[in-house]
Amino acid sequence: MNEDCLKLTCYFGERHRSAQGFVADELLDIYERHEIAASIMLRGIEGFGLKHHLRSDRSLSLSEDLPAVTVAVDTRARIEKALEEVKRIPGVGLVTLERALLVRGDVHALQLPETHHEATKLTIYLGRQERSYRVPAHVAACDLLHRRGVAGATVLLGVDGTARGRRARAEFFSRNTDVPTMVIAVGDGQAIGRVLPELGGLLHDPLISVERVRICKRDGELLERPHRLPGADEHGMALWQKLSIFASEAAHFRGQPLHRAVTRRLRTTGASGVTTIRGIWGYHGGHAPHGDRAFRVVRHVPTLTIAVDTPERIAEIFPIIDEVTRDRGLVTVEMVPALRARSGKEERGGFRLAHHPF
Amino acid sequence: MIALVWLGVAVAGGLGAVARFVVDSAVASRRGRDFPYGTLVVNLSGAIILGFLTGLALGSNAALVAGTGVVGAYTTFSTWMFETERLTEERETVNAMTNLVLALILGVAAAALGKAIGASL
Repeated sequence: MNEDCLKLTCYFGERHRSAQGFVADELLDIYERHEIAASIMLRGIEGFGLKHHLRSDRSLSLSEDLPAVTVAVDTRARIEKALEEVKRIPGVGLVTLERALLVRGDVHALQLPETHHEATKLTIYLGRQERSYRVPAHVAACDLLHRRGVAGATVLLGVDGTARGRRARAEFFSRNTDVPTMVIAVGDGQAIGRVLPELGGLLHDPLISVERVRICKRDGELLERPHRLPGADEHGMALWQKLSIFASEAAHFRGQPLHRAVTRRLRTTGASGVTTIRGIWGYHGGHAPHGDRAFRVVRHVPTLTIAVDTPERIAEIFPIIDEVTRDRGLVTVEMVPALRARSGKEERGGFRLAHHPF
Repeated sequence: MIALVWLGVAVAGGLGAVARFVVDSAVASRRGRDFPYGTLVVNLSGAIILGFLTGLALGSNAALVAGTGVVGAYTTFSTWMFETERLTEERETVNAMTNLVLALILGVAAAALGKAIGASL
């Protein structure tokens, strides 16, 4: 286990280019060169950035340049080195840095630090075709998490990435065995602490990151509002927050899929940016894990909608999220200690990590 | 001559496709967030133009280049079907049905209107 790890997340347009080619390829080339322990590229289905241009897979003509997300986790030293190169790519709209623990190999005797006892987010990095006792590993992991009372888990399919430092990129004519997928699970710290050794037994060579999170809502029940963070820490470094809404394609709000309703409402209230990613399997409430079914047109896969903003704006938009998720969905909030947002010449934030014990 | 007509269809097809992209994006970015208005506008305007061209009773080569080339590439059946399927996928049955029925009724009416205008010239 490594305590001092960082998670570097980039949000950008799938078709954004730099001098070297597509931004997505360039980012993953950087992660490959730095042999990043776990990195993944995810394709979004809808979103907008600082300019508030909506991109959506809703109609063919709006789906030209859908949002994309890359996540990279490794030791602080390694991520900071990679960041030096990532910084210089012009086409990346939003870059965030978050603190995380990275668990690799033997997870039998894991004691989570005290700070993780409120609620914890686990991210399990798997290969697309990885199996566990003849069942797809992501299905086995979700079943286990569901049985152990973890609040929700969502499986996201990557199209490119690195695992244990090795690059694996999806190709058309290939089984894509090692292309990364990620399972994001959120639950109370004790449930997660108990389930970790079991995951260690279930998976062949576990690669898991652990972060601190607050669960705000589940299945319509308001558990806690987002932390009321100040705009900056005691040294004046700006603080940010990330709201995540886990829902299902089948969940609706006033005749619209829940995640589309969230995006549209946040766009009109002036949120800085929103990205939605469609998962392939998962659960986020009392129901059993689910995905799409064969020969059914209506989709049942989970969705994840992410909004990163200032604490002040998060407090403003939370009532909107609260309304849209009045019956369904899992809402979590996390602190983001460093962020840089860019749109044309406008630039906010920076890469020095804020410290704010809460 | 035949090679020239084929070349004409290819070039006209390219222009039609570009026109569709421009019109579709312009409409969709203004209105088409929850309903595929872009494709509807493209298909209806295409039906009027094709009706109009038929009404004009052009020569066979000109009709081929303008009708099959330009309008054929401009209008899109596949996008209409695809976007209807997308709506169904997210349980928006009313929007999906409206998208089908509206395009059918208005489409036939648009073609008839175009033809009447063309014939009266």
